[in-house]
Amino acid sequence: MPIFVVAFSWLLPEHELWVHFSENLLSELVQSTLILLLGVGIGVTLLGTVLAYLVVMVEFPGRKWLEWALFLPFAIPAYVLAFVYLGVFDYAGYAQVWMREVLGLPGFDVRSGSWAIILTFVLVFYPYVYMMARASFKRQKLNMIEVSRLLGAGPLRTFFQVSLPLARPAVAAGLLVTLMETLADFGVVSLFNYDTFTTAIYSAWGDFRSIEVASQLASLLVLVAFFLIYFEKKARGQAKYYSADVTNKKPYHAKGVTAWFISLFVFSVFMLSFAMPMLQLILWGWESIAEEWSVKYIDLINSTVTLTILAALITVILATILALPSRCKKDSIWLKSVTRLATLGYALPGSVMAVGLLYGINQISIINIYFGGESVNHIIYGSITLLLFAYVSRFMAIAYSSIEASAQQIKPVFTQTARLLGASRIRLISKVYLPMMAPGILAGGLLVAVDVMKELPATYLLRPFGWDTLAIQTYELSAEGLFERAAVPALIMVLFGSLLMVVFQYLDKKSTR
Amino acid sequence: MLTVEDLTITYNNKKVLSNFNISLNQGDIFALLGDSGSGKSSALKFIAGLNTTSKGNVKLDGKRLSHNGEHLISPESREVGMVFQDYALFPHMSVEKNICFGISHQSKKIRQSRVKELLLLIDLPGIEKKYPHQLSGGEQQRVALARALAPSPKLLLLDEPFSSLDKSHREQLVAQVRDILKKARVTSILVTHDDQEATKFADIIGHINNKSLTIE
Repeated sequence: MPIFVVAFSWLLPEHELWVHFSENLLSELVQSTLILLLGVGIGVTLLGTVLAYLVVMVEFPGRKWLEWALFLPFAIPAYVLAFVYLGVFDYAGYAQVWMREVLGLPGFDVRSGSWAIILTFVLVFYPYVYMMARASFKRQKLNMIEVSRLLGAGPLRTFFQVSLPLARPAVAAGLLVTLMETLADFGVVSLFNYDTFTTAIYSAWGDFRSIEVASQLASLLVLVAFFLIYFEKKARGQAKYYSADVTNKKPYHAKGVTAWFISLFVFSVFMLSFAMPMLQLILWGWESIAEEWSVKYIDLINSTVTLTILAALITVILATILALPSRCKKDSIWLKSVTRLATLGYALPGSVMAVGLLYGINQISIINIYFGGESVNHIIYGSITLLLFAYVSRFMAIAYSSIEASAQQIKPVFTQTARLLGASRIRLISKVYLPMMAPGILAGGLLVAVDVMKELPATYLLRPFGWDTLAIQTYELSAEGLFERAAVPALIMVLFGSLLMVVFQYLDKKSTR
Repeated sequence: MLTVEDLTITYNNKKVLSNFNISLNQGDIFALLGDSGSGKSSALKFIAGLNTTSKGNVKLDGKRLSHNGEHLISPESREVGMVFQDYALFPHMSVEKNICFGISHQSKKIRQSRVKELLLLIDLPGIEKKYPHQLSGGEQQRVALARALAPSPKLLLLDEPFSSLDKSHREQLVAQVRDILKKARVTSILVTHDDQEATKFADIIGHINNKSLTIE
């Protein structure tokens, strides 16, 4: 629905404002958005793939715990990492103060140019590529690597000519999720004062109160997102070179200086993307907890937890229904299209989702009033329905892909055996399908929960009065530069998120053992 | 000439095979028979330099490859070829690219003529541009053999290469591969659990029984 609605906005142009936007801002927006996508794309591909290859294929000191620790940055929302780094490296931050006073170096503006924001995004989003590439490297047969070695290829040649081409679809999928997340991001870009399509949508809606221009900009964003989806599908379509056996044997054993160098490299990524920001958050939180903590935090935690649980539950239930193995699914074009449509939402930035939904409700009210009815705005705006709808459609794909993967392990023989033993359809689902899909369902639910908890753009636009979340509180305090105070809600959020990630990793470890 | 001395294979700190000694002359074909879990595939991997938990000495043409369990020469530089049960052909490369993988340092002309020569040897001329998934199991196995032979290895290791083929194809291929190896005069070790296959394929047969090797 949001997609149709934003496309529909072109029929009701608000000419002057659109001309203002397109003449003064559009080319700059396109340029800055492209630079950001390019920088982040190259960065996450390099970092995510190299890290995944190292932890899967090479034995080095500390590999075991680093392999899991590298997932933890998932628990840190992008805007939290952004404000921590801004707080430390900004003109008044202690890194710059130290550089000026102790080293006598001139200060610099961390917000100028695009390198700092690109680095921040890379540190926060590399886990997407890391996660997918790691799974793909793990599925590669050890034999393949051994053959390559026996044919005289060294580690680098084996990486470039054998492992990497085989993992390419997974790397591409991870890269595209990253690019969509970057495109959809609102928190980081606004903290860095960096203009992209998403900030322009907010400006059109927030500053100019024009839902039409916001929708028109959003529709351009949808176009880019669809372009990315097309390539993602293409990349996945060729991904047929997987083998199922997962191996935990490492073909390479790093020794001496090389081993320690690899450890140091992987460890520094973990430090920069998780441990150091966490430490900073704890320090700031400790300093400001007395000032910041109040009863309202009980409400914030309450609404965050309620929204997270509700959204995760609804998403997982719907995704499970869609992913259940069914005989008709293979043949029914209708069922296939429903599944595809339901999982399209992940390409839709939260801002587009929100604008589309708001605009849609607005139009319904106008039509209603035209026919003598009343506006429905206050009913919908006052409840969490719209927000939950946005969460569910946005994160459906994450839950679906995780649940679908576990459903694929249910071979037709299981169904046939159960049927021959007299199991009804309901018994088949409850005793065979659901228990076999349980790890996938749980993992999908956890990933959705982490994402809902961090979600900012849609929550920001769609939350009803009295439903502020920890994410909103974190963003609002940090946008005012109150980093020490923002650390308190951020810390609560990251702790919850890390807990969920630890459970997720435990499940993942169990399934690949 | 290949000599393997005092090879001991351990799984999870448990000895499964010890005092494994063999000596083969150039062109000899040796078959190693044993039940699953008897350590025969691990023995092959140790000789290839891929296994690090076992102990033993390996010498090939006078060159010490492994000594007291330590691999002195890495798998990349051993001049040892290997064919696996599941072929392990690179799925994203054509037959030609697969075969050329181990001779990439040669000139294009030499590579091309080597591919032609090997495809004739395995009796599959003209399939250069095909991809592994376009070939049958037996064809894939022969291409895997051609790929292993391309760099002219001093020793070829075959880890149950025929076990995933049906019976009629298997018998035919066993005879074909033996001919190819004899023509190329490559010293070879075949790991299998099929007595008949071993008899048809090899000049010398070894059995692993009660954790030790006996040679017929």
